[in-house]
Amino acid sequence: MRKSGTGSQDNKRLSLIDHLAKSITWPRFIFALVLVFFLTSILFPFYWMVSSSFKSFSEIGGRRPAYVPSALRLDAYKELFDPNSPDFQNFGANILNSIKVAVPTAIIAVIISTFGAYAVARLRFKGKSILLNGILLVYLFPAVLLVIPLFAMLAQIGRSMGFSVQDNLPILIVTYLAQTLPVALYMLANYFRTIPAEIEQASLIDGCSRFSVIWRITLPLSIPALVSVAIYTFMIAWNEFLYALVFLNSQSMFTMPIKINAIYNSPDPRPQVVMAASTIMTIPVVILFLALERFLEEGLTAGGVKG
Amino acid sequence: MAGGVTDGARPTLARWNSIRARESRLAWLLTSPTGLVVFGLVIFPAIFSIWISFHDVTLRNLNDVFHAPFVGFENYRNVVNDFAFKFQNLRQWGAAVTSVVYSFAATGLTVLVGLSAALLLNRPFRGRGLTRAIFLFPYVAPIVSVAFVWRWILDPRPSGVLNDILTRVGLITTPKAYLATRGLALLLVIVFEAWRYFPFAMLMILARLQAIDKTLYEAAGVDGANAWQQFRNITLPELRYVLGAVFLLRLIWTFNKFDDIFLLTGGGFGTNVLPVLTYQFSFRAFNFGKGAANAMILLAILVIFLVVYTRTVMRERG
Repeated sequence: MRKSGTGSQDNKRLSLIDHLAKSITWPRFIFALVLVFFLTSILFPFYWMVSSSFKSFSEIGGRRPAYVPSALRLDAYKELFDPNSPDFQNFGANILNSIKVAVPTAIIAVIISTFGAYAVARLRFKGKSILLNGILLVYLFPAVLLVIPLFAMLAQIGRSMGFSVQDNLPILIVTYLAQTLPVALYMLANYFRTIPAEIEQASLIDGCSRFSVIWRITLPLSIPALVSVAIYTFMIAWNEFLYALVFLNSQSMFTMPIKINAIYNSPDPRPQVVMAASTIMTIPVVILFLALERFLEEGLTAGGVKG
Repeated sequence: MAGGVTDGARPTLARWNSIRARESRLAWLLTSPTGLVVFGLVIFPAIFSIWISFHDVTLRNLNDVFHAPFVGFENYRNVVNDFAFKFQNLRQWGAAVTSVVYSFAATGLTVLVGLSAALLLNRPFRGRGLTRAIFLFPYVAPIVSVAFVWRWILDPRPSGVLNDILTRVGLITTPKAYLATRGLALLLVIVFEAWRYFPFAMLMILARLQAIDKTLYEAAGVDGANAWQQFRNITLPELRYVLGAVFLLRLIWTFNKFDDIFLLTGGGFGTNVLPVLTYQFSFRAFNFGKGAANAMILLAILVIFLVVYTRTVMRERG
């Protein structure tokens, strides 16, 4: 920086350019360029999704794409939610179906995996490594390999017990448990290991039973981990596509992903409606994620979304 | 543990009541729900899948699947001879070859992009926390949403965004059907994979990067090593193990992945891979036996690769 300080217009501009020239070196310039490239290629699709959902039919079908919608039109959202709309999609029912599947999956997965994770983290027992390896197998098996026998198996069981394997949301919850339990168990076991065992041992010596130790000491200390595992499994169930595609048949039972797929593949394509539905489906997940980023990142690296 | 008690039936009782035995019983009780779900919904179905692949199971006898006729290797023969599966010529790769090419290319690109992103985020700058969070968006967002946005961006009409931009810049004169052109479609699906899954590689690599001893760089700087030499001789060797692990994990998942290609191209235009083909055999043609056989072939390729990988790459590392 020049220290002339005369305050004249000319001098100021010169010092600004000078300042820029000094601070922008080649490595910095390349760094900024790459960063901007990354940010645009990540954010543009999301911008395009949200902005397209507010476009009118003429903006969608024009010769040129409209980069900014002329107004925040809710036509697409009306089609999803307004019963008076000519192409009413009753998307509210699909949102409800997704919630009905994802919430129980998350709750049950957390409960079951808490037990398993506690045993893995704290107790010594024969067959622990077999159990852990068996759970790891879940990562190796492609979902598409399991969906065939599951479908045949559940159809068989359903026939003898009198329920239908298709359009049956509880069946979907059960299959999602198999996909989410391993990740949940690993995340929770890792967390339990970080709680000092001495705290538990002290209470055990005081005469508390194992279950009351888990209930009174381990669980209250693990609430952040339990919440993030719940949200994590919720997200897996919320996003799941293949099993829902195979097990759900009628529009009223569809979860959101399958419904969006159906709207996309309908004879007259309406991208703005697809984008509106996608926006609705994406926003809760992104918000949940941002709110709990620190915790969830561990889950992402611990086992991934298996995706 | 149960030492000291010697007479008659008491040792067994003592063993039954010992702390270790109680702990073990409790462990089994606690893990049984997980074990039950994993056995019932993963391990048993996997074994059942082998059984199905040797039987003639269609929609007709699905309700009575255990009495399906045994057909030996018939399903496998049908799969291998299917024009959608086998390699015919350089224009018609078939799903098996496409799967392998696609998985390796997509995984390689994912790891490369993930590495660059990790290097980018490894140096401090204002807004790094927010940038890091934004970088995870593609991985966190539902696959259905992002796949359809990309399809909409790659729309073949002149009003498609990519068509519009490339026309304005002057790179193309007529609009292109990106996802409906052989070759180009496969390339774009690979690029999409890298776009969606690089955050996973990035997180793993970033964690390792931040654990590298800073004094190594200082020492290298004193010795006069430039940035590239430091990267080649310090960063890369330190990252070797994590890069290998990320590559392996992503390769397995990419090879098994159904959603992405199904949603982007439906498996058309030279992008048909084994998972999508399995779905088509099973739930479009309703030939579950053939679908299961195809899935077993998929698994076999994966297992062969894993064995070769652990025998060679892992052994090299010692």
